[in-house]
Amino acid sequence: MDDKLRVLIDLIFNTHLDTMIDCETCAKQFECLAELVAQGANTAELLPAVEEHIRCCRDCREEFEFLVAMLKADMLADSVNRNE
Amino acid sequence: MTERTNDDWIADLSSTSERQADALQDLQMRLQRGIYYYLSRERSDLSGLSSHELTQMAQDLAQDATLRVLDNLDSFRGDSLFTTWAARIAVRLAISDLRRTRYKNFSLDEITAEGDLLPLNANPVAGAPPVSPERAAERSDALDKINAALRSALTERQYQALIAHALRGVPLEVLADQMNTNRNALYKLLHDARRKLRATLEQQGLSPEYVMNLFRE
Repeated sequence: MDDKLRVLIDLIFNTHLDTMIDCETCAKQFECLAELVAQGANTAELLPAVEEHIRCCRDCREEFEFLVAMLKADMLADSVNRNE
Repeated sequence: MTERTNDDWIADLSSTSERQADALQDLQMRLQRGIYYYLSRERSDLSGLSSHELTQMAQDLAQDATLRVLDNLDSFRGDSLFTTWAARIAVRLAISDLRRTRYKNFSLDEITAEGDLLPLNANPVAGAPPVSPERAAERSDALDKINAALRSALTERQYQALIAHALRGVPLEVLADQMNTNRNALYKLLHDARRKLRATLEQQGLSPEYVMNLFRE
C-alpha cells in the first residue's frame, strides 16, 4: 500500500478511545516501565494504558524506544564487564 | 566504571572533590554509550553518518545531558535506578535536539499551500498489479471520501496539525512550537481530529476493515 495512504488510514482508524492518557501522564511511567521492558517484560501486560498511548503516539513511542535502547546498552556493557 | 547504588550516585555527584569529577565522567560515559547505541541501531535517518560522526554526536549530547542531570539532582525521587532517571533526561534532551535539527526548515505555512493529499487515481498501491475496473472504482470513491473528509470535517488548525504530524512526520514538540501551544494540547487536538475523521468516514460506510481490505495488495 502507498506509504502516505497507509499512514493516513492507520492514523484515522487506529486511534484510542476516551480512556486515553496524555503524553505527560504516559511519560511519568517511562522510567520504571523501561527497566522492566529492557529485561524482556511486555508493556501491554504491565500498563495497558501506556501501551495504548504508545501505540497511537509516535513521539512517545520514539522516546520510550530510545530509553529502552539506552538501558539495553547498559545491560550489555554490564554483562561484558561481568564476564571479563 | 565504578558500580554505584542510587545513594552513591547522589553522594558522589553532590560532593565537590575528585569524587564528583569521577562520577561525572562515569555518568557521561554511560550516557554516551547508550545514546550511541540508539543512534547507530535505531535511527535509519542517521545511517549516512560515519561511526566517528555518530560518536561525536553522542558525546555532545551526553555532555549536555550530564550537566542537565547535575542541575536536577534534587528532583530525583528514587522511583527507578538513578541511571535510568539520568538516561530519561538524556533521551528528552537528545530527542528534542534531533527533532529540531531534522525539522528546522519546516514551516506550517507549507501545509495550506499543499494540493490534494492523496493520489486521486484508482490504483494507489505502489508497484501493485492492475486491479479490476470495479475495484479501481471502489478505491477511487474511497479516496475521494477520505480527501473530502479531511477538507470538510476538520477545522483548519486540526487539518494543519494532522497533515504536518501524520503525513509529514513533524514531531509534536516542533509542531506545538509553531502552533503556539503545548504538546499535550496538540495531542488532544489531533486525537479529536482523528476521531472526527473516523466517525465521518464510518457514517459513509467506510469501516476500518473495509478500507484496509480495499487497498490491500
